[in-house]
Amino acid sequence: MTKGELPYLSAKNIVKDFGDNRVLDDVSIEIHSGDVISIIGPSGAGKSTFLRCINLLETPTSGVLSIGDFQIEIGEGHRRASKKELSTLRRNAGMVFQSFNLFPHLTVLENISLAQRRVLGRDKEEARARSMELLDRVGLKDKADQYPGRCSGGQQQRVAIARSLSLDPMVMLFDEPTSSLDPEVGAEILAVMRELANDGMTMMVVTHEMGFAKEVGDRVYVMVDGRIVESGPPAQVMSEPEHPRTKQFLSAVMGR
Amino acid sequence: MIGYILQGMIWTVVITLSSFAIGAVIGVAVAGARTAPFLIVRGIGRVWVEIIRSVPPLVWLFVVFFGLAEVGLRLTPLQAAIFTFGIIASVYLGEIYRGGLATLDRGQIEAARALGLGSFDLLTKIIAPQIFRTVSPSMVTYGMGLMKDSALASTIGVVEMTFRASQQAQTTGQGLAAFAIVGAAYLLLSIPLGVLARRADTKSRLKYVVN
Repeated sequence: MTKGELPYLSAKNIVKDFGDNRVLDDVSIEIHSGDVISIIGPSGAGKSTFLRCINLLETPTSGVLSIGDFQIEIGEGHRRASKKELSTLRRNAGMVFQSFNLFPHLTVLENISLAQRRVLGRDKEEARARSMELLDRVGLKDKADQYPGRCSGGQQQRVAIARSLSLDPMVMLFDEPTSSLDPEVGAEILAVMRELANDGMTMMVVTHEMGFAKEVGDRVYVMVDGRIVESGPPAQVMSEPEHPRTKQFLSAVMGR
Repeated sequence: MIGYILQGMIWTVVITLSSFAIGAVIGVAVAGARTAPFLIVRGIGRVWVEIIRSVPPLVWLFVVFFGLAEVGLRLTPLQAAIFTFGIIASVYLGEIYRGGLATLDRGQIEAARALGLGSFDLLTKIIAPQIFRTVSPSMVTYGMGLMKDSALASTIGVVEMTFRASQQAQTTGQGLAAFAIVGAAYLLLSIPLGVLARRADTKSRLKYVVN
């Protein structure tokens, strides 16, 4: 896959208010095909909220989202997204959560096949074949018939990644995918993500893993108090930060 | 006498099963309204539940059977009983569903939405199977209560077990025997329900573990 010139996914002027509290203040991001971008910043900066706004798990107060040919304006004066639009947007943006959120009453295979069948309309065999291929990719082929409760945290997160990939999304969104895992297990997830990136997957990663952001990311965005205060190539942002809040944040994280 | 009374069992069963089925379906809407994102819908749901719950079932039965007849909607006693108990059941079952929904991790709904699943799939593939385990014991308990309440249908002339027993008591004078028979019949109907509830529970418990 070659890196495209046109923005592949863009979020423009995203504003999100929770009551009187402005959580996201005019945030804009553009991703090109094959790009891996990281969003870093202190807790409570709005990183996760921003990611959740991109697939409309959270409805922004205003802003414009576009992914591929699909575009939607949100805010006063604009109609709400239709069910069809929501479904289109969401299946094109695969989401991986901090807490995995696998369906505990379904086997690993069923977890990965469900949306393929119900959303993409694949038949049972087709879905199964694709699921097994993805399980193989994350190294868990032998877990296909297990229930998630019998898998370790790291395994569950790998299944969750396979589940998101099963819809052949245009972009993968990762919401602190390693935060609820031991560092060692987290490394296992990062390895899977690194491979995905090498295969050309477009990715947007909210993370506290500075190493990952630095090595794998094409660009890093620093979010503080609901705003992007700085962005650029990881090496530059991390070694020569310009914004005082970036300096403060980085020295706090690196100093640990 | 035994035979005559037990012939009424069919109507006890019909009223119980039909109204339970109606309640189980409409209950989904009740739970949906009670947990809706819009304040107005939640308010309407709340008021509806309180109105239905606060009035004794016997009064509702009379309102439906005698009251609706006055305004031109004439229902047979059986129809009136099934309709009344169905609506009452929808409120109680709706509240039971809502309780079950509260135990469901929000991440489950988010994950389903993020995968592009629609509301119907969310309900039938994700929510229902997961809360079934939590709500099924309460649902069965409610079902047993409903079966006993169905005796009230005798007051509007449905010839079910209790109706027949009191008929027998009056004509033969053997009230003790008649009501002992009908009591035993209710007991017999309850036992399989209890077994069913426990079996459903252990079966799903074996199948998967929730972290």
